[in-house]
Amino acid sequence: MDRREMLAERPVERGRGFMPGVSINPSRVLFTAGLTGRGQDGKIVSGGMGPQTQRTFERLQAILGRAGARFDDVVKQLVYVTDVDAYNATGRAARGKFFGNARPASTGLVVRRLAEADILVEVELVVDLGGSPQGKPLLEKYNVEDHSGEFYQGVIVNGGRLIYLAGQVANEPDGSVARPGDWRRQAEKVYENIGHVLRAAGATPASVVKETTWVLSIDAWREHRTPIRRAFYKSDVPASTLVEIPGLAHPDYLVEIEVIAAIT
Amino acid sequence: MPFSTIATPEAKPVANYKMATRMEGGRLLYISGQVAWDASGAIVGKGDARAQARQVLQNMRGVLQAAGGDLDNLMKITTYITKIEDRPAVAEARNEVFSGELPASTLIVVKKLFHPDFLVEIEGVAAV
Repeated sequence: MDRREMLAERPVERGRGFMPGVSINPSRVLFTAGLTGRGQDGKIVSGGMGPQTQRTFERLQAILGRAGARFDDVVKQLVYVTDVDAYNATGRAARGKFFGNARPASTGLVVRRLAEADILVEVELVVDLGGSPQGKPLLEKYNVEDHSGEFYQGVIVNGGRLIYLAGQVANEPDGSVARPGDWRRQAEKVYENIGHVLRAAGATPASVVKETTWVLSIDAWREHRTPIRRAFYKSDVPASTLVEIPGLAHPDYLVEIEVIAAIT
Repeated sequence: MPFSTIATPEAKPVANYKMATRMEGGRLLYISGQVAWDASGAIVGKGDARAQARQVLQNMRGVLQAAGGDLDNLMKITTYITKIEDRPAVAEARNEVFSGELPASTLIVVKKLFHPDFLVEIEGVAAV
């Protein structure tokens, strides 16, 4: 492991259990999907924010464990909540039990809705696995549970060059927005644009490690996205997170997707 | 810089940012979502998105400098605002500090940030 923590003594982050910045030598990096408090029966656990947060981190622990990692190895966490007061009241303490004194870089957001209406918290992680990538495939995609979603719960990048795309929206080459109000057309256009940018970077849809989809309506997105997303990824899907938010950069955008990819 | 910039005529940015960046070496730095608090934890620019964005970027620069870099080491930023009306003020504050085009960039309007006084939060990924 070759982890460096930036401004570790800065008091505001220190008091909140995270780190202003963390750098690593990206020899092997794990990206998780956004995980939620789903129980073994497939339903969101009862009891509200505290139990959901507990369950979310239990599941993340299993994903880390499969890769031989611990919470001390987490570089970055992104915590999405629908109710920040509830998170502060019970979620934060539940999280703390898993991290102990370990402090990743962190972002916390209050969003409008997560994959299902009763999900109160969702967390995704970037994890430093260290070690040598030699002899390993560029991407190792895995699940630790059976699930019906079209994504992997963890994707390991072994020694690749990471590619960070700007959030892609349904804009035409002339800058105009493709069909305001048309979810299907915007979905097609966004994936078309992702494809163009990946190609320019020497990558393909199969190179995508992590996908974050920001939409104005999860219900409308689900209704239209599936055939388009399947045509794009085939079965070689990434780890992913789906979030409903109140707005994007332009009032006509319905969806914005950002992806991280990797090539040798 | 230990990364390259990706551009294609088929999908162009809608503003002054890079469409994608590809890491070519160096260390990978993840920067927490920065908010407008000063070193003591006091909020700077309450009610003023431009002032907050300036403080956010100053804080981000501090993290980058601690890692031996600066703003031009950023490969990707994600800007979260709570009101779309604040977008121009935040964009101006960003354009003040970036010498050329911005890194690869995403802008999202969230319901809230973790403190009711925060109007803007920016996180970043850098190669240093």
